[in-house]
Amino acid sequence: MYLSLNWVKNWLKLPKDLDSKTIGLDLTMATVEVEEVIDQAQSLLGVVVGRVEEITKHPDADRLQVCQVNLGDIKEQIVCGGTNLTKGMLVAVAKVGSKVKWHGEGELVELQKTKIRGVESSGMIVASSEIGLEKLFPADSEKEIMDLSDLKLKVGQPLAQALRLDDVIIDIDNKSINHRPDLWGQYGLARELAAIYKVKLDQYKVSDLKTKNELKLKVEVLDKENCFRYLGLAIKNIKVAQSPLELRKKLEAVGIRPINNIVDVTNYVMYELGQPMHAFDARQIDGAKIVVKKAKKGEVFVTLDGEKRKLPEDALMICDSKKYVALAGIMGGQNSEISDETVDIILESANFRAGNIRRTSMALGLRTESSARFEKSLDPVLAESAIKKAVEMILNLCPEAYVASDLVDINNNPFKKIYLEVPEELINRRFGVVIPTKEIKDILKRLQFEVAYKSKKFSITVPSFRATKDISIPEDIVEEVARVYGYDNIEAKLPTVNVREPIMNVAHRSERDIIYWLAWAQAYNQVYTYPFTDQRWVKNLGFDLSQHVKVKNSISPELSYLNVSLLPNLLSKAEDNLRWYEEFRIFELERVFDKNQKGSYQVDNLGKKFLPKQDKYLAGVEVSKKNSEELFLSLKGLLEAMMEHWQIDWELEKKDLPYASVSFAIKNQDIELGHFGLLDMNLFDSRDIKVNVAFWQINFASLVKYISHNRRYQALAKFPSIKRDMAIIVANSVSWGELESEVYKISPLIRSIELFDVYQGANIAHGKKSLAYHLEFRSDDRTLMTEDIDQLLKEILANLKKKFAADLR
Amino acid sequence: MEKKLQQLKEQALKEIKNIKDSGALEDFKKQYLGRKGELTQLLKEVKNLAVEEKPKIGKLANEVKEELADIFSKAEATLKGVKNSTHDFDPSMPGQSRPIGSIHPLTTIKYEIEDIFAQMGFAVYDGPQLESDFYNFTTLNTPADHPARDTQDTFWLEGGLLLRSQTSNLQVRMLERHGVPFRGIFPGRVFRNESTDVSHDHTFYQLEGLMVDKDINIGNLISVMKSMLSAVFKREVDVRLRPGFFPFVEPGFEMDIKCLICGGKGCPVCKQSGWLELMPCGMVHPEVLKFGNIDPNEYSGFAFGLGLTRLVMMKYRIDDIRLLESGDLRFLKQF
Repeated sequence: MYLSLNWVKNWLKLPKDLDSKTIGLDLTMATVEVEEVIDQAQSLLGVVVGRVEEITKHPDADRLQVCQVNLGDIKEQIVCGGTNLTKGMLVAVAKVGSKVKWHGEGELVELQKTKIRGVESSGMIVASSEIGLEKLFPADSEKEIMDLSDLKLKVGQPLAQALRLDDVIIDIDNKSINHRPDLWGQYGLARELAAIYKVKLDQYKVSDLKTKNELKLKVEVLDKENCFRYLGLAIKNIKVAQSPLELRKKLEAVGIRPINNIVDVTNYVMYELGQPMHAFDARQIDGAKIVVKKAKKGEVFVTLDGEKRKLPEDALMICDSKKYVALAGIMGGQNSEISDETVDIILESANFRAGNIRRTSMALGLRTESSARFEKSLDPVLAESAIKKAVEMILNLCPEAYVASDLVDINNNPFKKIYLEVPEELINRRFGVVIPTKEIKDILKRLQFEVAYKSKKFSITVPSFRATKDISIPEDIVEEVARVYGYDNIEAKLPTVNVREPIMNVAHRSERDIIYWLAWAQAYNQVYTYPFTDQRWVKNLGFDLSQHVKVKNSISPELSYLNVSLLPNLLSKAEDNLRWYEEFRIFELERVFDKNQKGSYQVDNLGKKFLPKQDKYLAGVEVSKKNSEELFLSLKGLLEAMMEHWQIDWELEKKDLPYASVSFAIKNQDIELGHFGLLDMNLFDSRDIKVNVAFWQINFASLVKYISHNRRYQALAKFPSIKRDMAIIVANSVSWGELESEVYKISPLIRSIELFDVYQGANIAHGKKSLAYHLEFRSDDRTLMTEDIDQLLKEILANLKKKFAADLR
Repeated sequence: MEKKLQQLKEQALKEIKNIKDSGALEDFKKQYLGRKGELTQLLKEVKNLAVEEKPKIGKLANEVKEELADIFSKAEATLKGVKNSTHDFDPSMPGQSRPIGSIHPLTTIKYEIEDIFAQMGFAVYDGPQLESDFYNFTTLNTPADHPARDTQDTFWLEGGLLLRSQTSNLQVRMLERHGVPFRGIFPGRVFRNESTDVSHDHTFYQLEGLMVDKDINIGNLISVMKSMLSAVFKREVDVRLRPGFFPFVEPGFEMDIKCLICGGKGCPVCKQSGWLELMPCGMVHPEVLKFGNIDPNEYSGFAFGLGLTRLVMMKYRIDDIRLLESGDLRFLKQF
């Protein structure tokens, strides 16, 4: 949205000595976000009005001419290729040193004195696009220079001054006025400026209508739900033509391309008041009748941009007695648009339900200046001022024209007057600073609220243009007062509150512990990946894509399914990193999404429905040159250390995973906390990968519940322990795990058993292996004797012999 | 006698300077301090002295003895030191690399800010990322058809669910669960369905804060934010509020921070304005409080949404947002 300072000067006088940058800043601080302040004159610096006195052919170029141009105080020779050059023509001349856009494209270029094919040329006779005036002075071709002959301008005058292009345009971020339907027109912005600078704002005036009841215009609103007001009238005898320069200039200043006088007037009114309007060619309206009703889904309508549009459900349409003539509030139809032959028109100034316009416009992907305004909830009162203003302007532009019908007004305005009782104390308490009562009252009055003050309360009537959604509760009044009073006046003060109970968040604490431990003690790198799962690895791992939560409106196919596991993305990242690193460890701690399981978060406050489960997982991938046994055991060691640290009881259970060459589940009782294993290396695309890959994944959310907070100190041993080594030979099939637990069963005096060597080969029978281990014996109430140890060793051996057919090596 | 002692001392001091190895030092010890050494011999003569001279010379002799013992032990220590430094490897070779991993910069900044807020009594909470329309929009005073929904391109899932577009989804959830007074922050990732470039990603991180208590005002909000930012940037920072519209706050603000590069004078980073847009914030809308079962007549509060991703990029001068979730170890190992 552009604010034109010249335009708002119609209704107010800004304080003198106020520079445009300050206005931009003040608006930002009190009302809206200003993106840029553009000074028109600045961009036309060095461009003056010149008269072509003489034209001769360029000796060396067919398409160029050499002009002697009168610039008032001096004459310059300028080489020009303009196709419409004539002697005596008034042209715009960019002098040496000024900046132009070459052929209307690219960056600004500073003009130098130069020779063009050997002929000296000082400056440039410009086309409108070369000085950014293409909307104001449209050209048929890029070779056509700007012809100012009709405008009776003084030769030598700066162009900005001659055309009175002395406006300052303030570019306002549309997002910052989404909630302010009143700020989508110049008058609304003028109101804000008047409030900020404490200057008088003239009332918005329109002339009374003089109507002839020559044409019986009928308006029928069938959908009162969505059409809050419809004003229509017919004007006859208009003459479609280009608008005068002054009007075009104003439109151009706010970024609108002038089209013809009728369309320009409707646009002008929209930019002045914020009320979109539409003009129909009356000859195309059957039965002099306007009907407002909903379309049927799937019907086709051709909008005035020539597009065939398939109408969505509930699209609100403007119709005549036979057909659709406009998409209400969005765009007119091709069948009834204003053409050069149009002589009679029907003017529409209406108000529609914001939600309906927004839905239709979204469904069609058709956003227009009109729909952008209607979807903000416009004030239905505006529609009347707008149509009167438009009539006034059209009658001015077309002296032969007259209003040929009554003004038809179907008014179903649903917005009630809003009265608010606001305790003075509320304003001051929220603000944190006491604002004088009179100041509060003044600010609200400047913003056109009606205010009465009695027994420390303000009774406020909200003006209609703020009452459609913007202002509805006392807190809104706090904001109105505070922003104009100035947020700079607030005193920053830390809140005074009660000390409260500490909140211990075990999960959170444990997250930090494990992240630091993995990174600093275990050389793991923490990665963050997207929630969108890597579909190639989903396939590699044999997961079923249909079991993933699906994104309905993703902008790209890669962003279509949510992780059920962290592994696909981790493996994909591991694969990427193999280009740079041979060995590395990465991990991630994040939520994954399981559409088949109910989670613990409620969908709403009714407590009946729950969101899908989205537990946090901790997962890692190790890429290593170690052989599979080493890598597997190293990873097992990592998990053992982790469980040991948290004092979680756990056991391993073989678990067959299709993507693993070996894999185990980590369990506590019957609950599976996670799993780990070695990846089947055939899953990697590249066959020449010389590494092994291990993975692990733990349901962190459930693991946290098992973390023990009851760590107790164990008394240091009072009596010495005795260590012995033992080596036995058993069949290859005997597992260390079973053997180890068997040894512990023999006596509580056996404190530890630690495997240090596994050997197969020379001196060991085929199919057998030698296991060597340290044993540690200790008693809590006496020093063990050699005889005790010998006895225990005997028992161990006897037992292993019995259970595993073990022989002493 | 006195003269002899002095001579002996000077001779010894001279000699010890030339001693370069332990053998020579051993000889020195024998010669001066040993049982048959020169000093011992001299000391033996003390008993033959006149009675009145005895104390004076005795004292001097002892002093000399102590002094010689002292220089001997110093020389011994020096020699030992030299001995230790005669090694057979080059200590200037690079240290043997010990494997170390890395913590993601988003984690580091998140924890830093969590700790700052913890000191101000804010607890850290976490919640769903796969969210309902109800908590992501409706309870935040953003009903269907609200244009404010446009500014957040939401990833919609089946069953009317969505990927949360803001960490504000936890405001009402937390008020429902914990009631008032409430002081909490909710860091986490949020999602917007938009195309990516160096400064936009569809997945990024926010840190939402919410405080609800009796008589919380705008000045409190400014002050808490200023304190937090000064702690983050480790220097006093200036902030300003200007109007900003977010349906779940009233009044709503944009908070700007005085440009840290130019100090407010204007530079390319702040586009000559002296200020950088930092975060949306505001006073909690009464509708939001009502959804959280809090009486807005009795309680008020503020909420803010800090862009963690942006802060990380500012702090480490990261010029491409997509690196953060690239998993690229060349990037991650720098942290």
